[in-house]
Amino acid sequence: MVNWGYTITRVRRVDIDSNDMSYSRKLLAEFPELQSCIACGSCTATCTAGNLTKFNVRKLQTLVRRGEYEGVRKELEKCMLCGKCRLVCPRGINIRGLVQKLKKELPVK
Amino acid sequence: MEHFRLFVLPFWLGAIFLLVTLLYKYISWFIGLAPDERRLFFRSLFSRSVFRSVGEVIRESLFHRKIWRTNKLLGYMHTTFALGWFLLIMVGWIETLVYFKGENVPLYVDIFFSYYVHPIFEHNFNFSLIKDALLLLLLIGVCLALFKRIRSRAMGMKRTTKHTWGDRVALSALWLIFPARLLAESMTSAVIWKFGGVVWALGEEHHLILPGIGCGSFLTNTTGEFLARVLPPDILQAGELPAWWFYSITLCAFFVALPFSRYMHIFTEIPLIFLRNAGLKSGEKVSSYDQFQTHACSRCGICIDPCQLQRDAGIVGVQSVYFLRDRRSGKLTDQVADNCLMCGRCEQACPVGIEQNKLRLNSRRERAVPVGENRYGYINGIDRSEGTGKVGYFAGCMTLLTPKILRAMERIFEASGEQVWWADKEGGVCCGRPLKLSGEIDAARRMMEYNTELFRKHGITVLVTSCPICLRVFREDYALEGIEVLHHSEYIQRLIVSGKLSPRFGGENFAYHDPCELGRGCGIYDAPREVIRSIGVLSEAKENREKALCCGASVANIAINDEGQRRIGERVAEEMVATGASAAVTACPLCKKSIARSNLIPVYDLAEVVANALPD
Repeated sequence: MVNWGYTITRVRRVDIDSNDMSYSRKLLAEFPELQSCIACGSCTATCTAGNLTKFNVRKLQTLVRRGEYEGVRKELEKCMLCGKCRLVCPRGINIRGLVQKLKKELPVK
Repeated sequence: MEHFRLFVLPFWLGAIFLLVTLLYKYISWFIGLAPDERRLFFRSLFSRSVFRSVGEVIRESLFHRKIWRTNKLLGYMHTTFALGWFLLIMVGWIETLVYFKGENVPLYVDIFFSYYVHPIFEHNFNFSLIKDALLLLLLIGVCLALFKRIRSRAMGMKRTTKHTWGDRVALSALWLIFPARLLAESMTSAVIWKFGGVVWALGEEHHLILPGIGCGSFLTNTTGEFLARVLPPDILQAGELPAWWFYSITLCAFFVALPFSRYMHIFTEIPLIFLRNAGLKSGEKVSSYDQFQTHACSRCGICIDPCQLQRDAGIVGVQSVYFLRDRRSGKLTDQVADNCLMCGRCEQACPVGIEQNKLRLNSRRERAVPVGENRYGYINGIDRSEGTGKVGYFAGCMTLLTPKILRAMERIFEASGEQVWWADKEGGVCCGRPLKLSGEIDAARRMMEYNTELFRKHGITVLVTSCPICLRVFREDYALEGIEVLHHSEYIQRLIVSGKLSPRFGGENFAYHDPCELGRGCGIYDAPREVIRSIGVLSEAKENREKALCCGASVANIAINDEGQRRIGERVAEEMVATGASAAVTACPLCKKSIARSNLIPVYDLAEVVANALPD
C-alpha cells in the first residue's frame, strides 16, 4: 500500500458490547463494593507511585470494568502497595486487594 | 514368639506403620534441610543446647507448661494425656523388666502385660497401683476432653478448632484407648476373681489364689469384681479376649490415623525443639524446616481466641491453626493465606512457639506474581529530599497521609535544634514492607535498594521514622550499617533525656496503644511510655504490651474488607475509652487513623502530644 504519510486516528470509541465482560463481572462479584466507586480519584491523588510516575489506579479500574484489559497488568506493576488509596477511599473499597488480585489474574500483555 | 497372641496383631502392625511413617517423614525432611542447617544441628549435639532441648522437651512436650499458663484445666488435660500416658508406658516397661528379670521380650508384652501376667491384688505398693492411678488420671483427662467439647469456655477457650476428618478418627480412637484398657484389664481381673488363678507378687514366686480375690489394683480390681458379679460366668470367659482385641484395635486405629491428624504434633515437637535450639529458623523461602513447624501444630486452637479477625470481624477459617492445616494438606488458598493482619497475637499465644508470621509470609511469597522486568524502573534517579543534616527523617507513606504528625515532627526538630535531612517530605518511595508482606519480596527489594542508596548518598548517621512499618523493615531487611535506625518514640525520648527537648508536664491522662509492628515487631514498649509519662499520666489498656490489640488496618492484610477493619478499630477504641483516659496516644500513623475512625475518643500520635506540650 502507498504510504501517504498520514493515517486515520485510532478509534477511541469504547464498545462495551464487543468487549469481553466476563472477567469484569467476575471481579464485581468478588468486590461488590466496586459498584459504589464514584470515581472521585482520591486513590490516585494520594498514590505514592502516582506521585513519582504516570500511574493512575482510578483509570485502571475503569478500564478493567469496561472489559479493556490490555496493558493493565503491566501498568499495575508500578503500584507499591503502600495502601494509602485504601485509607482515603470514601467508599471503603479494598483497592490494595483489588490490585493484588488483578496482578494475579490478568494476563501479562 | 511364645508370647504372641493374635490380638496383639493390630497394635503391632499399627505401631510398625507409625514408626515407618514417622521415620520416613523425619528423615526426608531432615535431608531436605540446607547443608548449613544440618551442620548447625550436628554441631548443636555437642553443645549445651542439647540439655536445653531435653529440658524443653520435658517441660513442653510432657508437662505442657505453656498451656497451664493459658488455663489450669486445659493444662491439666494436656498434661494427663502426655505425661500420664508416657508414665503409664514407662511403668509398664519397668514392670515387664522386673517380671522377666531383664529378659528381652517383644514390645507387645509390655503393652498388654496384664493379659500375660496377673499382678496380685494387695494393699501394699505394687506396679498395678501406679498403673491404676495413672489410668484414672487419664480417664479424668478423657472426661475433661469431652467436657471441653460441650463447654470449652470453662477451660479458657471461647472457640475451639474445627477438626478435619483425620483428626476426628484419631480423636475418637484416643478417647477410646483408655476406657478400652480399663475394660480389658478389668475383664482379666474379673476372670481371676470369678475362677481364681495364678497371680504374681513383687519379689515373690507365683501364688495360686482362690475365687473372690481378683488381681490388679484399686481401679481394675474393683471394676473387675463388679463385672464378675454382674456378668454370667460364660460371658465373662468368652468376653476377656474380645476386650483385649478391642484395646489393641483402638491403639491400632490411633497409630494409623496419627500421621494424618493433629496428633502428629506429639512426636514432631521433639525434633522441632532440638532443631530450633540448634538455631534453625524459618525464612523468606519455604524450607524443609517449615515442615517440622507445620506438623508440630497440635491444632489446640489457642491461637483462635486472640485473633481479632474472628473475635471482632467475624472472619473464620483463616486463623493460624487453619492456615497451618491447609498448608500441610496442600490446600492453601489465597483467601486463607492473605486474610491475616500478621499482628503476631497468635504467635504470642502459641504453646508450641511456631513462627506463624514467617510461615505465612513464605507461603504468600510462593503464591506471589513473579517480578516483572524493570519493575519500578521509574524510581531510578528520583531524589526529592530536602535539607541537610546527620539526622535523616523518613516520614513514610502513612505519615505523609497524616500531616499532623509531620508538622509535629517539624516542631520537635526545630525546638531541639537538630539539623535534619528530610528524605521524603515531598513524596518518596515506599519502604517496601507492604509489598514484602504481600509476598513480593524480590520486587520490594528494589525499593529497599533505592532507599538505602538515597540514605547513603546524603551521609546521614541517624535515621528517624515515625512509622513502625518502615522502622521494622529498616531494621530487618535493609543493610544500613553505620546508620542508626530509630523510631521517633526512641528519638524523642533521647532528646528529652539529653535535655534538648523539654516538654511541659500537663497532667492529662493518656491511654497508650501499642502498635503491633512497634511492640511485638520491634520490641519497643518502654520508650513511648516514658515519653508520655514526661508530659502526662499514662493509662494502660487491659491487653497491652506483648498482648496488645491490633488496630485492624495492618498493611499485612490485603483480603479484609472495610467493615472488618472498622469493627476491629472500633473495638480498640472502646478499650481505650475503658481506661478512663481523656485521649488515646499511639505511635503509628496507621493505628492513629484506624482508632480515630470510630470517633469514640480523641487519638494522637506521640509526636503530636509532645509538640503540643512544647513551650511556645
